[in-house]
Amino acid sequence: MASIKLDRVTRTFGTKTAVNNVSLEVPDREFLVLLGPSGCGKSTLLRMLAGLESVSSGEIHLDQRRVDQLPPSARDMAFVFQSYALYPHMTVRRNITFPLIMREFKWWFHLPIVGGMAKRKIEESPNVSDLVGRTAKILALTEMMDRFPRTLSGGQRQRVALGRAMVRQPQVFLMDEPLSNLDAKLRMSMRAEIIKLHREVGGTFVYVTHDQVEAMTMGTKIALLRDGVMQQFGTPREIYLNPANTFVARFIGTPPMNLIEGRLEEGALRIGEGVFALPPHLAAVAHGNQAHVLVGIRPNSLTIAAEGEGTLAGKVALVEHVGAESVIDVRLDHATTAHREEGEGRNEVMITESGYSDLRANDTVRVRIDLTDVVFFSPDSGLRLRPEPRGATPHPAS
Amino acid sequence: MIRSGRGGKSFRVVAILALLGAAAFPLYWMFVTSTTPSSELFAADARLIPKPSEIGVYREAFGGTSVTTWVRNSAIVAVGTTVLSIALAIFPAYALSRFRFRGMGVVGFGLFITQMLPEAMLVVPLYAIFGDLALLNTLSGLILANSAFTVPVITWILKGAIDGVPIDIEEAARIDGCSRLDIVLGVVLPLVAPTLAAAAVIAFFHGWNEYIFAQTLISDQDLRTASVGLAGFVGELSTPVHTVMAIGLMYTLPAVIFYLFVQRYVVAGMTAGSVKG
Repeated sequence: MASIKLDRVTRTFGTKTAVNNVSLEVPDREFLVLLGPSGCGKSTLLRMLAGLESVSSGEIHLDQRRVDQLPPSARDMAFVFQSYALYPHMTVRRNITFPLIMREFKWWFHLPIVGGMAKRKIEESPNVSDLVGRTAKILALTEMMDRFPRTLSGGQRQRVALGRAMVRQPQVFLMDEPLSNLDAKLRMSMRAEIIKLHREVGGTFVYVTHDQVEAMTMGTKIALLRDGVMQQFGTPREIYLNPANTFVARFIGTPPMNLIEGRLEEGALRIGEGVFALPPHLAAVAHGNQAHVLVGIRPNSLTIAAEGEGTLAGKVALVEHVGAESVIDVRLDHATTAHREEGEGRNEVMITESGYSDLRANDTVRVRIDLTDVVFFSPDSGLRLRPEPRGATPHPAS
Repeated sequence: MIRSGRGGKSFRVVAILALLGAAAFPLYWMFVTSTTPSSELFAADARLIPKPSEIGVYREAFGGTSVTTWVRNSAIVAVGTTVLSIALAIFPAYALSRFRFRGMGVVGFGLFITQMLPEAMLVVPLYAIFGDLALLNTLSGLILANSAFTVPVITWILKGAIDGVPIDIEEAARIDGCSRLDIVLGVVLPLVAPTLAAAAVIAFFHGWNEYIFAQTLISDQDLRTASVGLAGFVGELSTPVHTVMAIGLMYTLPAVIFYLFVQRYVVAGMTAGSVKG
């Protein structure tokens, strides 16, 4: 089994830098998710790990072994493609057995009849057929081993692709958005299946996705990228609770974190007309930091409240019912927000409430803020503001 | 849209029969003419039914001429041209499809240029070169000359087909441990099999029908191909039409059989289901 270490890995295409100086270290048996919007370099990074793309500078290590100069087949990694990439002219059985056949491949396997017989011999040898049989059983493919990929559904094809990766018993599984071609329901069950696979098969997983829900539910570690630069690397919990910058705050969470412009004033936070007393851990952040801040508040830390102290006035803009909870957009009367990158809704915050909300658009409401999990960002750099003495190394915003 | 129902179906049957008739009639006419005695050939009322009593012309054709040798030579040249052209075209086609290299456009255009030169223009220089290389009067020389014309066409056709093979499949093969050669032979070629069959048809018929090179580069009687042998019957004063038709028919049939054999491979849709589009 293997740990992965990326050391200042960079990849340029002409003048464009697709991956810029990414360094991270993942211990064995972790489930690393590379997350980010389209074009952020996450797939390029994965392809560099696999050896499908060369590294412009930097090093990739698998355990103590440097692998970035090795061909893909020598890295002991399996790759599951977004498009499945099954061999259309081979049966499911041959597709799954193929990597094992290639291990014993001789040039004369290309010859028409003799080669076919040799391949079948490997396929039918006890070790191989046993391993393939077990893999097929885990993935519920036993019934369709003699069918061709074109006769399978999307989910079944995806399982064949997983099977082809599993039989190699590789040190590392690489997956490039393997679920994005499936419908929502199938995606959920395959998600569970991959998590189960990770638990049972072991090995280190690296999984690329742009879907933050997938990342949060599957990953034990998440690396969030933007324009080729790593924004934050940590556990899903760390990234959710302690976003390193406003980009991470905006990207993670559905709905994402609210960013409201505020001002720090002697142990208190002022937002519009509201003044809120800061709890001690936030007061420590406020100390020595600039007066203007962006206040990051998760939608579940905001509640609709009756008239009272520590509330902000506003009007309901939109109510969305998502089954167990409702997402309420409230237009605040005296506050400016910054969580939407497009210019609209510059004073709207999102609030989640459990159950079915009876509020309607244009209702006048007051919003209460729970300051326990609030974080502050610098409005200029977008970086998280932390207490002065102890605090992790800040990550650049872009 | 094709109309379904009885009316639509019978219309289709009639249309197919009409097309089939138009395609097959020349063959039938050759057969009828071959059994028509020379004296009746230019009669005002042409016969439409073959005359069984004249079937002896085939015995004559086989006995009196070297038609078996000619057809055999033609088959060697056609099969040789097919095998050589495909073997030579696969790798440049793959390279043109998958690699980006300096001069790529020039190579591609150069392949087109070769198609613009008529065979007749190249006969004389080719004759001189083949003379130096001791390739005159050999079937292998003829195969080589024919392949020079088919390789560029087949390269372009195969390139187009390889363009259609998803790159993901090749990358998957690389990760599974395939070398570049393994990928071409084991993954790409099976996926372009229909195009390969079509290319084989082109090369085979080029080799089978070719006349100018066969006439010029071969002078040995035993190495003549059927196209040249057949043309040898056309005399200055007289042409034994029924013998020519009999041999013509024997010349045509192997090619038809080859096509029937290959056409079932010319089916599309091999790559469906490998990669989700």
